Amino acid sequence: MDFFANVILGFQTAFQPINFLFCFVGVLTGTLVGVLPGLGPVAAMSLLLPTTFHVSPVAAIIMLAGIYYGAMYGGSTTSILVNIPGEAASVVTCLDGYKMARQGRAGPALGIAAFASFIAGTFSIVGLMLIAPPLAEMALKFGPPEYFSLMALGLTVLTFLASGPMWKTLIMACLGLFLGNIGMDSINATFRFTFGILELSDGVGLVPVAMGLFGISEVFLNVEQSMGRTVFEAKIKNLLPSLKDWAESFWPIIRGTVLGFFLGVLPGGGSLISSFVSYAVEKKFSKTPEKFGTGMIAGVAGPEAANNSATGGAFIPLLTLGIPGNAVTALLLGALIIYGVQPGPKMVIEHADLFWGVIASMYLGNAMLLVLNLPLIGLWVKILKVPYPILFPLILLFCLIGGYSLNNSLTEVGLMVIFGVIGYLLKKFQYEAAPLILALVLGPMMEHSFRASLTMFDGNPAQFFFRPISAVIMTIAILLLILPLIPGMKKRPAIGDGED
Amino acid sequence: MNNDQASSGAFFIIGLAIAFGAVRYKLGTFSAPDSGLMPFLVGTAISLLAGIGFVHATLGKRKGVGWTPLLEKLRWERVLIVLAALVAYILLVKTLGFLICTALFIGFLLKAVVPQRWPTVFAVSLITALASYGIFELWLKAQLPRGIF
Repeated sequence: MDFFANVILGFQTAFQPINFLFCFVGVLTGTLVGVLPGLGPVAAMSLLLPTTFHVSPVAAIIMLAGIYYGAMYGGSTTSILVNIPGEAASVVTCLDGYKMARQGRAGPALGIAAFASFIAGTFSIVGLMLIAPPLAEMALKFGPPEYFSLMALGLTVLTFLASGPMWKTLIMACLGLFLGNIGMDSINATFRFTFGILELSDGVGLVPVAMGLFGISEVFLNVEQSMGRTVFEAKIKNLLPSLKDWAESFWPIIRGTVLGFFLGVLPGGGSLISSFVSYAVEKKFSKTPEKFGTGMIAGVAGPEAANNSATGGAFIPLLTLGIPGNAVTALLLGALIIYGVQPGPKMVIEHADLFWGVIASMYLGNAMLLVLNLPLIGLWVKILKVPYPILFPLILLFCLIGGYSLNNSLTEVGLMVIFGVIGYLLKKFQYEAAPLILALVLGPMMEHSFRASLTMFDGNPAQFFFRPISAVIMTIAILLLILPLIPGMKKRPAIGDGED
Repeated sequence: MNNDQASSGAFFIIGLAIAFGAVRYKLGTFSAPDSGLMPFLVGTAISLLAGIGFVHATLGKRKGVGWTPLLEKLRWERVLIVLAALVAYILLVKTLGFLICTALFIGFLLKAVVPQRWPTVFAVSLITALASYGIFELWLKAQLPRGIF
């Protein structure tokens, strides 16, 4: 009974005009950043975060969440029409989606991408509703050692799944932890590594770092290239897939939905890895695997379902444990803390309107996205034709305004530009920024639970293995660290520098 | 030297700097950890990982992995132009105010990076400055710098 009462509360919250409006703005912005290559959900969320300070936390989180799952929808449009992924999780959609467009089937490719996203998105929200509350109840029993172990596992999984050598991603994670330690030590009020800069006493802001690493550095990397792109010119028709298309896409959508959801729940998992795994699975299940990459609709339906389903899954550790699983949810966690909401198991009870309102808004958002992505496809194609030399100054301006309006501080804007340069260099030397962002958000929480655990254990770190839950989690984390060292168990194919 | 040797070398030094810097804040003991412990452990871990990376990269070099040029066939001077524009914006925005500085910033980037026609430059820079002022200052009340004029 409680469950249904909460669902009704959620819909009442989501249908409030301001929340409804912010949901629409979120999914619209998400679709836009998904469509535009070079601007991902992390950058967009960082840019818009300061603009939400004047509204309620519920409206703000509804909008930021909308950007996240909206970007997953929009990303497929660019993959199919331009052969450039609009955002990282749509890389796989290029393989068959663009080939379908070249064969004159851009309409069905866009259509099935939108329907698969809608179906998977909706199912993942149902999963989120069913799994999150009992998990939150269980998490109430967690103490500092369990929290520390979970966060350590999250970082380990992310480094395990990231592309490139593990030492590089671990360095990035450690660097993020260090940045998270800058500022006032919350336990004994010591200022660390602030060098007398007042703005650093509250710590290094998530927004300047994320905007620098994902927004500004991306512009640097794009402007040094030719900046040209060819948009698929033929008229897009038959957006509604045929019965044959549906028959070929039905099982890929189901498999993608289930896979995406569970991979999304895993700390460090997310949309990108889900879409890759789904593509591999569909190839295995197909009677004609050799045709994958030549315009198979299953190669669009499965991964698109998976990357959307993963967004719902990714909210589970965030909303129930207060632990983000990827860079996007890390940003959402940062936003919640800025709004004065402490995410974690108590959030379901203490901020029921926020918890259930955000979930209910996802239903609305998914329906809005279907409308935005099918009838308005012509509009997105037009936006895609805006030349990058005109677009990039606007992206930079948004970064500047976003960086400044957070605390009306030019020092933070300077910090953002510095992180832009750092991000540019990191990408040149093939280091991923996503583990750094995740660790930056987790840093203060990890330090707090680590120190509390050590005090609890009277200084014996081995005690992490004497508590059943933390022992299991720590063992998995250690296994993941050791696994790549075993011959034959070396890293899986590179998955790129995903924001998630 | 190859790229990984260079970057891991740099991170080795960064890690050491963090670890030494952390000692100033007192490490405490494992049963009573102090402010410096976590950054000390993190700095040490960065140096250790960078050391592993350096060995890895050195082994790679023996197998023929050399230096990969980072800026070859790229218009890297555009990055410097954009960076200069960003720095100039930060330095001038308090004096010139948001509207003028933004119009100049957008106009400069449109003309200097991939030169656009003057009408486009004027139109885009003016519309952007006014629209962003309207949205952020007037609507969202984001106190943007006013300037001395």
